[in-house]
Amino acid sequence: MATTQAISGGQSRRRRQLSDAALLRLFIFPTLILIILMNIFPLFYSLYLSFTDYSAITRQAPNWVGFKNYSDLLSDKQMWIYFANSGRYALLSVGLQTLVGFGLALLLNEKFKGSGFLTTLILVPMMLSPAVVGLFWKLIYHPSSGIFNYIVTFGHPTAIPDILASPKLALWGIIIVDVWMWSPFVMLLCLSGLGAIPDYIYEAAAIDRASWWRQFWRITLPQVAPLLMIAVLFRTIEAFKAFDVVMPMTAGGPGEATELIALNLYRQAFGGQWRTGRASALAYIILIIVIGISNVYIRFLNKIRGD
Amino acid sequence: MATIELRQVEKKFGDLHAVKPMDLTVHDGEFVVLLGPSGCGKTTTLRMISGLESVTGGQILIDGRDVTWAHPSERNIAFVFQFFALYPHMTAWQNIAFPLQSQGESRAAVKQRVAEVASLLRINHLLHLRPGALSGGDKQRVALARALVRHPAAFLMDEPIGALDADARETMRAEIKRLHLLEHATTVYVTHDQVEAMAMGDRIVVMSEALVQQIGTPAEVYHKPANLFVARFIGSPGMNLVTGHYANGVVHLSENSRYLLSPEWNQALQRELGGEGKVILGFRSEAGVIVEDGPLAAEVFTSDLHGAYNMLNLSLNDDLVHIRVPRGIRYPMGATVRFNIDAEMVRFFNPRTEAAITRRVR
Repeated sequence: MATTQAISGGQSRRRRQLSDAALLRLFIFPTLILIILMNIFPLFYSLYLSFTDYSAITRQAPNWVGFKNYSDLLSDKQMWIYFANSGRYALLSVGLQTLVGFGLALLLNEKFKGSGFLTTLILVPMMLSPAVVGLFWKLIYHPSSGIFNYIVTFGHPTAIPDILASPKLALWGIIIVDVWMWSPFVMLLCLSGLGAIPDYIYEAAAIDRASWWRQFWRITLPQVAPLLMIAVLFRTIEAFKAFDVVMPMTAGGPGEATELIALNLYRQAFGGQWRTGRASALAYIILIIVIGISNVYIRFLNKIRGD
Repeated sequence: MATIELRQVEKKFGDLHAVKPMDLTVHDGEFVVLLGPSGCGKTTTLRMISGLESVTGGQILIDGRDVTWAHPSERNIAFVFQFFALYPHMTAWQNIAFPLQSQGESRAAVKQRVAEVASLLRINHLLHLRPGALSGGDKQRVALARALVRHPAAFLMDEPIGALDADARETMRAEIKRLHLLEHATTVYVTHDQVEAMAMGDRIVVMSEALVQQIGTPAEVYHKPANLFVARFIGSPGMNLVTGHYANGVVHLSENSRYLLSPEWNQALQRELGGEGKVILGFRSEAGVIVEDGPLAAEVFTSDLHGAYNMLNLSLNDDLVHIRVPRGIRYPMGATVRFNIDAEMVRFFNPRTEAAITRRVR
């Protein structure tokens, strides 16, 4: 009896000591420390490094060089080729994903037998590891043993060139993979947007004699637009960071046909001379571009939401 | 404007009847109210007229044209939804203009027509707002404007003021009635509120359990209910109904309550019940008259002040009977009150069939 009292007394004292605020801190601080160590510190440290000539494999302390890295990068004609590659890749890949994803969402929004199963099936590519996707698409694109050439030529795989070895087609090769992998993501967001449109709006539109085409343009599209824009925003940011699928597939080749800016960033940071300072500056340039594009999107998003 | 005709229209969900076969003709410019408790099939009926719901059987004609299987857009009707169903991403102006633009009207015509309708409904100052920024009443005004703007053949309204608060409801009720008169618009209006139905309808279709119970003018359904359901459902309170025993020209209600029948009623009950039997006597609360030597006696249960009058609640047999009396006269609880019924306003129902017994032979 006395012991149970002591135990329960001890428990209640401990509970008293652990106030709500303390509990709150207990949950937040570990996360906060992780974020500071893994995100905030590298962010500012790399900003500092971007103004130095630091290289991670030499044992020399970083020397302050001011904006030299930035001006070197921006005046380097090679760099502009990579930026152009990334821009083209982002535009085409996100554009196609939007069309394919929205199209799939429109189809799957009509409930039919097995539509739930089909939706799950379509989502599979999104869940695969990017490096694995890159590797097996390399096999799919293989000019003689791959299935891709075989299918698009109706059984004559040699009738078209090796996609990944062709300077003209290689970029399309990685775009197709990105569309295959991420259209389901656009579809998923669009599906939830379509599902949120109440039936009565379409009933009212039927009474108001709106044609199918008009219902699509004046009701479906504006209603889904906010979610569609979020999908496009996410995919655009990802497109500028594209690395993990492309690296195992083409590693930037042939020549510089698929050398995206993020690939080149990796090369500068961890290849050859390990130009850490210059790579940090490039990373910051990419960051600013992405933030700029995101802002344009968000402004547009707010406009169509009508706030 | 147009006439609407339903011929044996029915709706089944599986084996369940949502609407049992019904006939109804709505005349040009008429205001017909579909009235009934929730789940009685009134909204389904309206949606079948609009084409939003397909029929299981029967025919629907608008202006003599068979539209049973026509798409809603081919029926030239307007529908006003209970929860407005405005397009949330469009301004009030765009909402109202939408039906006109859908049929490809010119820019100038749209502008002019929207302005006309907006001033008719006094919403000019709200046209730039989106539905989210409007009050319930204003939302429904915009929805009405959207319905009116196209000059449709008929208006179908599904509890258009059911979602509004009491104040807005009174105002909108008057506005809808005024619009109906101004536009001379054939209207079918669904409500579960019998006061609303009485106030607005040229004719009322009383429905219950998927079946039409009675079709008649407000006065008819009020004074001459076709059956017990209508008698109970219409009026506030509903008709007083007391079970009694008919024999030899007299209805015995209780030990000291015997209602002496007029010769016509006696004949009618004789014919209906065949000599003698149980019968239900009905009368409206305003048909009861307190008289010292009245033939009926009942005990005062409670008495409520209703402002303009007192409502006396009496217990007779096991039934509560409501009688309207002038205010100022006090009736102590438990006292026995004797009363008579206005001979013109007494009604009888067959307890077995629940149908009203009629006096005249057809």
